Amino acid sequence: MKFKPTNTLALVSLVALMALSAWQFWPIGEKITQGLDIKGGLSVTLTAEPLSGAELTEDAVSRVETILVERVNGFGVSEASVQRQGQNAFLVQLPGVQNAEDALKLLGEPGKLEFVDLTSVTDTATIELIGRQLDAGQSAETTTLPKLDENMYEAFMTGEVITDARVTTDEVGNPAVSVSMDKQGTQVWGEVTSRLAASRGQVMIVLDGHAKSAPAVQTAILDGNTLITGSFTVDEARGLAAVLQSGAMPAQVGIDEARVVGPTLGKESLNQGLIAGLVGVALVALFMIAYYRGLGLVSVVSLLAYGVLMMGTLGILSRMNAFALTLPGIAGLILGIGVAADTSILIFERLKEEIETGKTHRSAAKSAVRHAIMTSIDADIVTLVSAIALYALAIGPVRGFAFTLIIGIVVDLIAALLFTGPVTRMLAEGTMSKAPAFWGVKGGVTRG
Amino acid sequence: MAKTRFDFMGKRKFFFALSGALVVLSIVALLVRGLTFGVDFEGGTSMMLAGAGDVTTEEVRAALEEAGVPDTANATIQPTDDGSYIVRTAESDTAKAQAAFAQVAESLGLPEQDANVTTIGPGWGKNVTDASVLALIVSLAAILVYISIRFEYKMSFTAVLALLHDMVIVLGVYAISGREVTPNTIAAVLTILGYSLYDTIVVFHRIRENAAGLTKMSFMDMTNESINQVAMRWLNTGLIQVIPVLALLFFGGETLQDFAFAMAIGLIAAAYSTVGLASPLYALWKEREPKFQALKRKYEAQASK
Repeated sequence: MKFKPTNTLALVSLVALMALSAWQFWPIGEKITQGLDIKGGLSVTLTAEPLSGAELTEDAVSRVETILVERVNGFGVSEASVQRQGQNAFLVQLPGVQNAEDALKLLGEPGKLEFVDLTSVTDTATIELIGRQLDAGQSAETTTLPKLDENMYEAFMTGEVITDARVTTDEVGNPAVSVSMDKQGTQVWGEVTSRLAASRGQVMIVLDGHAKSAPAVQTAILDGNTLITGSFTVDEARGLAAVLQSGAMPAQVGIDEARVVGPTLGKESLNQGLIAGLVGVALVALFMIAYYRGLGLVSVVSLLAYGVLMMGTLGILSRMNAFALTLPGIAGLILGIGVAADTSILIFERLKEEIETGKTHRSAAKSAVRHAIMTSIDADIVTLVSAIALYALAIGPVRGFAFTLIIGIVVDLIAALLFTGPVTRMLAEGTMSKAPAFWGVKGGVTRG
Repeated sequence: MAKTRFDFMGKRKFFFALSGALVVLSIVALLVRGLTFGVDFEGGTSMMLAGAGDVTTEEVRAALEEAGVPDTANATIQPTDDGSYIVRTAESDTAKAQAAFAQVAESLGLPEQDANVTTIGPGWGKNVTDASVLALIVSLAAILVYISIRFEYKMSFTAVLALLHDMVIVLGVYAISGREVTPNTIAAVLTILGYSLYDTIVVFHRIRENAAGLTKMSFMDMTNESINQVAMRWLNTGLIQVIPVLALLFFGGETLQDFAFAMAIGLIAAAYSTVGLASPLYALWKEREPKFQALKRKYEAQASK
């Protein structure tokens, strides 16, 4: 048997990819992130609608997102996430949260950015904590502070006066945040800063009850244009600017949907999905072997390769926080089995057909693989186009479904190019003609 | 060269009549019976009360009433096999629904349990539908463009027509069976889009291959020949797509079955419409071109001799 170097190369790279994949997804329970409908928790979809008499701008929607991220971070739940869906919807996921009442109340609030004279805060424990965690001017982006008791501080100004807040640099080139405010704000700010400048008093910036920053006043600021400096990193400065910009929700935010799933129910659904998947694979494998005999075995191995590569990809995406396996995602995975087996069918049928026209096994295999993969690519691209449109535009469960389908199609093509194709060509070099009945390629008799 | 010959195109009038009847029936069912929308579209709350073996439906209803849930008279309280209740109420305020769950579980003296509560606001269904319609329009447009560029615009229009036919039939089955439509159903219907085209592309690929330098037979006969050549491919790819879906339908849980039901019907309709609708329509359209008109006249004359 003569092995073409390209075939061998393809197989070697496939084995390498599979090993890499296995390392990426094993153990599966740890490496592949589970969605909330499987591991349990609170999942909320919110939509932003324009405030009365205003239009919903892209800017407003992205500010809503910033505020939601701020609030979600405030919950202190690990792996919490905010995801933009479609045009104006957001999916907020809080794993493990079972008492949804408080979380829901907080997420949908209109939002409040406040400026507080630190000396007016009566909650001493918090002041001490803030003193420790928030050195003058340092952003609280990375820290989680307890929510302030609303009776224990008094704001002298709210976020509505802020007209602009952006990241800039101070005179020595360190990141800083520049803030401008409207007329009313300028006046109040002038009074407060004049009073605090002498003692270098701190102004605490509070978003939705959480202290975010407490810069010390250096001089009286009478024109409203304020520069907040400190030992920021660029990211911290950006975070603070976002806080200042966001303040009040620039849109009406409504809760569209909230699901609390207990961990037991999720586990049960996952098991049912796994059983359905295994049964599906087993039936497909049986069918392929019964119909295509030896070539059916090839396709079963290619299904295995497909499965391993698929899981590996999902493992990598999980680590990048770009994927979580949901029930619709499982449905997408199971349907992917069909897509993967289809490619094998196209190759085998074309091979039989070419052999029947009287070609040698070798040249039939070469031409069959090329034609079938071309057909498969065209068919796949059409599926891909619609899956991508669904993923980008739709909201709700369809996205998880579309996402696994997209990956499935790509991985299937890789498996066909690196395994089913090369192996079919290699078998045609001689193995097939030794037992044509076993390989199901006996043909060449019924030419019509 | 084909082993078993079947005159698919000769049966095209039957196929057209069948498709026409199915589509009309579906549309009538949609208009007359309409779709049954689940809690996801109507808004409301669905909660699971576990370990409620010796609690009666009436007690659950009373507990709901006490917890301040609106319109409890119309709440559906459904016992499950394992001694739980699935309760659906009209409560659309998320926070209140959570509170009600805790209160109901306590007043019924249920064992400590995980909360499984879903609340859907009245706008959710509309948002899902709007976004889905947008996604549908964009993907149809993208598919039309791609097939037009890669193949031919006549193929793209007949393929998309077959696709719409499949979708209408799926919705029709939902209307007739009265099965609840959920966002998952919409998701499945939209995904049929891609799958439905898979086998259409396989058949069209072969028709295009055979159409190059066609002189020996009419376009319609060549289409028939092409379908016969790829018949096993068409049948087997269709079967292989349906098998995992059926596994999902029989073994998956509630959510997964939702997908599977719509997908299964869609896939079957899709496999049929490739041969019964897309291919003959395309051939009929092509035969209007002067080149193929001539071929048609030539071979029809021969056949009648």
